[in-house]
Amino acid sequence: MQLFIGGARAGKHDAVAARFPQATWWRLTPGQRLISAADGLAEGTPLVVHSVFDWLAASVDPLQDDDETRRQWQDDLKCLRHAAQTNDAALVMIVNEIGRGIVPMDREARRLRDLNGWFCQDAAAQSDQAWYVRHGLVMAIK
Amino acid sequence: MIVFVSGGARSGKSDVAEQCVKRLSAEKPRYYIATASVYDGEMADRVARHQASRGAQWQTLEAPLAIDRAVAQVTDGHGALLDCLTLWASQVLYASDLSEEAGMALLASTLRDARVRGVSLVVVSNDINEDLLTDNAETWRYVAFLQRLHVQLAAEADSVLEVVAGRAVEWKMAKEPQ
Repeated sequence: MQLFIGGARAGKHDAVAARFPQATWWRLTPGQRLISAADGLAEGTPLVVHSVFDWLAASVDPLQDDDETRRQWQDDLKCLRHAAQTNDAALVMIVNEIGRGIVPMDREARRLRDLNGWFCQDAAAQSDQAWYVRHGLVMAIK
Repeated sequence: MIVFVSGGARSGKSDVAEQCVKRLSAEKPRYYIATASVYDGEMADRVARHQASRGAQWQTLEAPLAIDRAVAQVTDGHGALLDCLTLWASQVLYASDLSEEAGMALLASTLRDARVRGVSLVVVSNDINEDLLTDNAETWRYVAFLQRLHVQLAAEADSVLEVVAGRAVEWKMAKEPQ
């Protein structure tokens, strides 16, 4: 798996499109588990999974424990990687860096920011390569 | 030579940028292209602090919008510091009749002119796109426009530096002259 992380409009989409011109792009569907992205896999075709933040914002259960939420996507990431491998398909994940501003006043916004950060860490931990995209430039961070 | 320097608030961008201008061109005067308009006491303080730290060998050109005309006033082969693109972008959007495309074109022609005349132009800007995504449409429009400028500038620049706690992280390195 490869991870591309960067801020808003940092050029992540173009950076990925240039490297994986044949890829299928999979927008995560709010309310569905991460593993649903495996439906986008096709033999030998790279799969780009994106819109993680919107997915998190819309589908995180306010009552569910954060650790449990995290375990769930960690498992899903593992399964998704395995499915991609079986399909001989590159797996690419695009995520947003949103953690470099002021701590939000709103509790929900704080939680969402935390979850997004944890997701990025977990995805990076499971990635073979990770790239930081800034102003259209790309730097290897793993 | 075009250099793009950006970073967070009070990260030391201006210092890094000034050192850059000095390194790139020994010619004097050096030019400081200020996009800020002094409209209140706080801004006056900021300007005074920056001016004092730059010293006397800098000539200030004010350019809230016409950065092309300001760069045109820089003598061929001299160094210039444009500080900062963030403010200029807000003035393009909110204090001019320019469209976003016209703003992008104005930046492109400014960079072209600097390059053609051997002006070492160092452009300073703020990184503001790694915060929680705003749900305010106007703020989002500004962030998106500034990012278009940043991506354009980073692509054009010979060197791109991110300043963190006064230290410059090289994102794009200028080729050493032969």
